[in-house]
Amino acid sequence: MNSFKQPTLRINQADLMCKNGCGYFSNADWDGYCSKCHRSALEKERQKKLSSKPQKMSGFTKFEEKKRQQTDKKNKLIKTPVFRKTASGRDSFRSERQPEAIHNPEADRLTVEYLKTYVLPEQVNKDFFKKISYLYSMIVTEMDNNKPIEEVAELAQKYYINYSTRLNGHPLYADIDPNVRAEMLEFFEKFVMSSAYEYIFCPPTTNDEEKDLIIQNRIRKLSWVNAYHLDCCISETSMEVRELVYTAITDLIGLDSVKAPQEKLACVVRCCQSVVEILKSCQEGPVSADEFLPALIFVVLKANPARLKSNILYITRFCNDSRLMQGEPGYYFTNLCCAVSFIENLTAESLSMNSEQFTSYMSGDSNVISTWESALFACEGMHQLTQHLSLMKDLTERTATIKSRAEELREKMQSLKDEIKSKVATVIEKNPLELKPPNELQLKTPERTHPALREDEGEQASNFYTYNLQNLSVKIDQKSKFKLDLVADQKPVEGGSGNSLTLINYDIDVSDLSNESDLTPEKRDDRCLLDMKEESPEARLPPPLEPTAHYSGFAKQGYQIPSIPCNTGNKNSDTYKNTTNNGN
Amino acid sequence: MATTVHNFKVVLLGKGCVGKTSIVLRYAEDKFNNDHLSTIQASFLNKKLNIDGKRVNLAIWDTAGQEQFHALGPLYYRSSNGAIIVYDITDEDSLVKVKSWVKELRKMLGSDVSLVIVGNKTDLEKDRHVNLEEAETYASKVGALHWQTSAKRNEGIEEMFLTLIDKMLQREREIEDLQVTRQGSNHRKNVVVVDDEQVENQTKSCCGSNT
Repeated sequence: MNSFKQPTLRINQADLMCKNGCGYFSNADWDGYCSKCHRSALEKERQKKLSSKPQKMSGFTKFEEKKRQQTDKKNKLIKTPVFRKTASGRDSFRSERQPEAIHNPEADRLTVEYLKTYVLPEQVNKDFFKKISYLYSMIVTEMDNNKPIEEVAELAQKYYINYSTRLNGHPLYADIDPNVRAEMLEFFEKFVMSSAYEYIFCPPTTNDEEKDLIIQNRIRKLSWVNAYHLDCCISETSMEVRELVYTAITDLIGLDSVKAPQEKLACVVRCCQSVVEILKSCQEGPVSADEFLPALIFVVLKANPARLKSNILYITRFCNDSRLMQGEPGYYFTNLCCAVSFIENLTAESLSMNSEQFTSYMSGDSNVISTWESALFACEGMHQLTQHLSLMKDLTERTATIKSRAEELREKMQSLKDEIKSKVATVIEKNPLELKPPNELQLKTPERTHPALREDEGEQASNFYTYNLQNLSVKIDQKSKFKLDLVADQKPVEGGSGNSLTLINYDIDVSDLSNESDLTPEKRDDRCLLDMKEESPEARLPPPLEPTAHYSGFAKQGYQIPSIPCNTGNKNSDTYKNTTNNGN
Repeated sequence: MATTVHNFKVVLLGKGCVGKTSIVLRYAEDKFNNDHLSTIQASFLNKKLNIDGKRVNLAIWDTAGQEQFHALGPLYYRSSNGAIIVYDITDEDSLVKVKSWVKELRKMLGSDVSLVIVGNKTDLEKDRHVNLEEAETYASKVGALHWQTSAKRNEGIEEMFLTLIDKMLQREREIEDLQVTRQGSNHRKNVVVVDDEQVENQTKSCCGSNT
């Protein structure tokens, strides 16, 4: 199969050409015609069919037409107006109805946008859309008749002027604000051009596509050109500058993704403004054309935007002349044209190098290790590396600050410690009554044990402590010897590493101890109480029976211990009674 | 007539480093204050003026002066109404460059373009290498105005631009009249000449009040 097919593909070049001999390549899907000839052949066929059919079948033809529109999306837009104009004699009536003829996602989107932005009388909208579809169908018809694109462009330009005078002269538009009118004219252009974009952008009647490829290849060959060659001051290694160059390149590449001429022009303006920003960050003072043009050339060379030439030609042809030649957009667009023209005609001289060097670079014999290439394109990792480096730098800076802060904190703590020490020392010096503190401490101890024992009532240990402390402070206040209390509390600081921690430990230790000491009598109490309630549990009877001798001994001891506090003593005496009862 | 805006495009041509950009910046200065100078985009400047009740919109296009960009000139000065060709009075070679520019402009745009030849850097009078008389005779020979300026000292720049605007307005009227004469009325031209003189006188006073 392959061996059979390949030769035919290779040898019979003529077979690939359009049957009509128009010089374009054909496609099997188009019955051996090129796209243009296929389209016209289809139309002819349909016209024949139509003329043979009686008029009453119009309903069916419409249906048929719809069907075809679905299958042959590309052709649907031209067919409708052309067919209507030629097939039916009611041209004027048909053209009136053409506003509905543009059915194109782009047109639909723009219609919605128009209706959202402008709230205008119904009559104005009607007229606006009528004019749009008129120009649109005109362009499409002309393009279909293989008219040179320049003629079509001239037609469009004339129509812009025509509509502009209508906007400013017609009574229908008299009530509209002049600014809105200017916007409408712009929108008019945008609408028509976006809708007819497929026909007028890079049309098959021109060699725009070839030009695109030529310039693209040329730029690719010139990839070794760097800022130094162009004698412009862009510093390729600077991070900030590179980011800006990225923005400029993105703007320039965006040129191909928008449809309306003014949108494309806006892309050019944005790109050029980024270039100005680049230059501002690279040099002092205002940016002059002497620096601007080389920088723009550099950006164009590095961006190598798709279909550059087609886009430029499209803007030149279909952007409203009055706007293109004036103001900042016009200036920037001219600069872009200049940059492209410079690239096209670039010689060794224009890069101020000898021709031998130039040819060797162009042929790729000698490679230049351009900083730009290595940093931006050839090595994306480099870019990431620099990003990471900056990140690391940021991190090290942060850790340094943390370290210094920590050191600061340590110093502060040290100073606080010293301060406290010195204060303590002064206090001790001022108050030589060192004999009293031990007395107070002795006083405190029974107070602490005393409420701890009260826990039998079922209160929590923490409550105890707060209560205890309150009691203490109150008592100290009453005695008005606050300083002495301080001495007692600060004592652990001198021994420990951190004052707060030791204080906490001190508290916890005490509480634990108290809890433990509290638990033992509690347990005993509980058991006794339970036994009381159960009155006569048989299971529990044997253990008390066995250690009767111990119990009696213990009871004697227990009797002696609770004799110190009065409250617990009573209870303990009760337990003693209980145990004796159990024993009995 | 009074409400129409006169849109003029003026290109700045000349060898690199003769002070094209400085001239634009000086001219822009009465609109922008000194502190904001660095924010001005010097390569393109749009200036709205009111001269004798006429609204003039002046778009000044700076061009790259380097030799390698010389070939791009036609793209820049296409459909421009005026051209300011700058030379450096201390650099004889820059005047040679002026001559080549003038030749090119006349060839491409004919007499539609109003030319001003400007000798810049008069503050460096002691280093003068260009004969003033020679330059002036050359300018009159090619139908261009000649001015001497100093961007550094802000001398003669405002005046230079105003005379250029006058010349462009005059040229515009001449073109309009030419169209009228073609249609048949021959008397218009004389009136125009008188008009011009009036305009010139009024312009100066008007601008004085403006600035």
